Amino acid sequence: MKVLVVDDDLIVIKSCCKVLEAEGIEIESANTVELGEALLLNKAFDLMLTDIKMPGQDGFEMIKCAKQIRPDMPILMMTGYLTSDTISNIRRLGVKNYISKPFTPEELIKSVKTALNSFT
Amino acid sequence: MTFNIIKIYSIRFKLIASLIVVSLLIGLISILVGGNLLYKSVLEEANNRIRQDLNVARVIYDERAYSVCLALEVAAASGTEFKNGALTYEQEPLLAGLVNELVNMLQLDFAGITDLHGRVIVKYGYTSAKNSSPPETTNPFVLSVLKNNNKIAGTSVMEHNKLLEENPLLVNRADIKDVTITQKNASSSDALSTQHRTALTIGSAVPIIYEGETAGVIYGGFLINKETEIVDKIGETVFKNEIYKKRNVGTATIFYNNLRIATSVKDSSGKRALGTFASDEVTSRVLKQGEMWTNRAKVLDDWYITAYEPITDIMGKRVGMLYVGVLEAKYLDLRTKAIAIFSGITLTGVVIAIILGWLFTGRIMSPVSHLIRASAEISQGNLSPDIGAISKDDIGQLQEKFLLMTQALQEREKRQKAESEIRLIQSEKQASIGKLAAGVAHEINNPLTAVLTFTHMILRRKDLDCEVRSDLETVATQTERVRNIVKSLLDFSRQTEISTEPTDVNQLIEKSVKLMENQALIKGVNLIFKSDKNLPLFLLDRNQCTSVFINMIINALDATSSGGKIKIETQGCTINNNNGVEIEISDTGSGILPENIGKIFDPFFTTKEVGAGTGLGLSVSAGIIQRHGGTIKVHSKLNIGTTFTIWIPHKLLNDFIKSDNSKEVLI
Ligand SMILES: Nc1ncnc2c1ncn2[C@@H]1O[C@H](COP(=O)(O)OP(=O)(O)O)[C@@H](O)[C@H]1O
Ligand SMILES: [Mg+2]
Repeated sequence: MKVLVVDDDLIVIKSCCKVLEAEGIEIESANTVELGEALLLNKAFDLMLTDIKMPGQDGFEMIKCAKQIRPDMPILMMTGYLTSDTISNIRRLGVKNYISKPFTPEELIKSVKTALNSFT
Repeated sequence: MTFNIIKIYSIRFKLIASLIVVSLLIGLISILVGGNLLYKSVLEEANNRIRQDLNVARVIYDERAYSVCLALEVAAASGTEFKNGALTYEQEPLLAGLVNELVNMLQLDFAGITDLHGRVIVKYGYTSAKNSSPPETTNPFVLSVLKNNNKIAGTSVMEHNKLLEENPLLVNRADIKDVTITQKNASSSDALSTQHRTALTIGSAVPIIYEGETAGVIYGGFLINKETEIVDKIGETVFKNEIYKKRNVGTATIFYNNLRIATSVKDSSGKRALGTFASDEVTSRVLKQGEMWTNRAKVLDDWYITAYEPITDIMGKRVGMLYVGVLEAKYLDLRTKAIAIFSGITLTGVVIAIILGWLFTGRIMSPVSHLIRASAEISQGNLSPDIGAISKDDIGQLQEKFLLMTQALQEREKRQKAESEIRLIQSEKQASIGKLAAGVAHEINNPLTAVLTFTHMILRRKDLDCEVRSDLETVATQTERVRNIVKSLLDFSRQTEISTEPTDVNQLIEKSVKLMENQALIKGVNLIFKSDKNLPLFLLDRNQCTSVFINMIINALDATSSGGKIKIETQGCTINNNNGVEIEISDTGSGILPENIGKIFDPFFTTKEVGAGTGLGLSVSAGIIQRHGGTIKVHSKLNIGTTFTIWIPHKLLNDFIKSDNSKEVLI
């Protein structure tokens, strides 16, 4: 199981690593959309976890990119500021699952599992 | 504004017009009624006067005969010529002198003396033929004396032959040319011609008495035909020869039968109007029936107020008429003058009406126009316009009411201003809080994520010291608290827009109730939901509405102690013609202090202890409901309970289909 985490804030990436690695999931991370794109092109991932608000290209670009490169890969969106707009925007891009920051380890694990299941 | 001025003026003109109409009407009526009444009474007066005038004329007329009679009596009684017994033809030269004297003195037309058998001894204008036997007289006066053996004075008709006999010169005098003969038909011309040669005379005859025996008869008289003295004397005595427009005002006429034989009526060329006839009506009434007749009548070309009475001869037979008349024009003039005066008065009345109306409406309308100007100012936003001095009449009441209205308007505006200021402050507050929250949330949520996850990851370890674990748990719960505060802040800031979808309200509430059932159970509070099954689908932002319902239920749970009851009820409801749904959340809890009722919707207002409430719940809820076009109301009684009533309008689904796109969202 391999998950790609994209977030501009390293502490978030670190938190995700901490939780998911404890669950035996392998993590690769990127702090920019460009980096995430490069990783996606090079490797296969079972799931992508991406922030929305990032400097430069944002999470929506990341999702579009991921949908092009790996249309079958489930995506879980995470955001610190959830609005109806955001939800309808990612939905339009074909992403149904999201999680609000901050979250507890249990909440993250549950969301990741849901996201993975929703695609199988 | 111009429109209003026209209106003011139209009232002014209406008032003036009605005043004019009234004064004209009064004037017209007084002209018609008064003028006629005046005219009638004047006419009546004139009629009365003319009757008196006629009496005077009659006296003048009769006096002529009496004066002749008197002179004859004097002559008969004192004449030395009559001291020789019965008069005989032989005494002619002596008597002729006496007769001549009388004729000269009295201006007689005929005179004479007869013997006691009526044989003419002396006749004025005749020199007797001594050889022939003296003719018997035909003079009607003498015949009357011979018959009654008594003096006589009066009127008598003398036909052509009698005149001829009396004095051939008289025939010409009697002959009156018929000026109307051309208008009459030929058959009657004979009768007329005899009439014209017959004369009406005034005369007298007196017996000459000598030693108790009748010795003879002395007589004398005038022809009235073409005579001017009587009629002119009447004109002079009765009418003072008054002239009106070159005409004699008063006229007198003597008729033989119905023929004018002596008159002061003159035609346009100044000739006396002899030889014309009285009208048939006058003739039949006066001559045939012997009445006095007073009326207006046309004489020649002019209208006269006239009086006629019959003239009877010495035999008691009606032989002619005496007439007096005054020009009606003189009285008509009076009427014209009266009408002119009345018209003048009416005109003055109209002018006064106009002036009065103008001044009056000015006085009435000035406060009204002030009011009109004031209302125009009000409509332009000036709520304290000048309405002028308060007048003491009905308009004053209007002004006072107007003043009250402006005051009410001012108060209302003040109130509205205050309200909108409050609202503005509130929305400004919300907006700035929203911005702040969004920024803070984003910055805080990332570190919070780290704190939450790391704390929980550490707590998973089994080898922790008891005290460390307890401290860590405190860190975890407090972080959770921070998370909730930030979440509330975010909820608060997020209330900018709603994304709606067709929703079953009952189902949405049902879900919220399900979520809260456990907590209610734990608290020992009875949570009931009663739904109106006949509700249509509503366009709602499901997430936001759910948070409203949950918020309400949490608040109710917080306020209600164990054993209490929370009831949620939906009901179709129409407000101001708008269909909608009413959602009532009532509890049997603590209630709200009256001084707090106004504040509970303020952001950050809470009565709960620190950490238990953020004070954002109701503020956010109210915002959400408002953005659905609905209202939220609270009704609370201390220690008895609180009821929140939410009303949401039913927007047409069409609106939604046009505008939205995310239909497959599940709650
Ligand atoms: N059902 C209720 N009964 C009594 N008081 C209430 C009720 N609902 C709200 N309140 C009052 O309104 C205040 C504000 O409520 P809210 O905005 O939800 O903030 P919070 O619940 O965080 O205090 C509460 O602190 C409470 O005093
Ligand atoms: Mg609350």
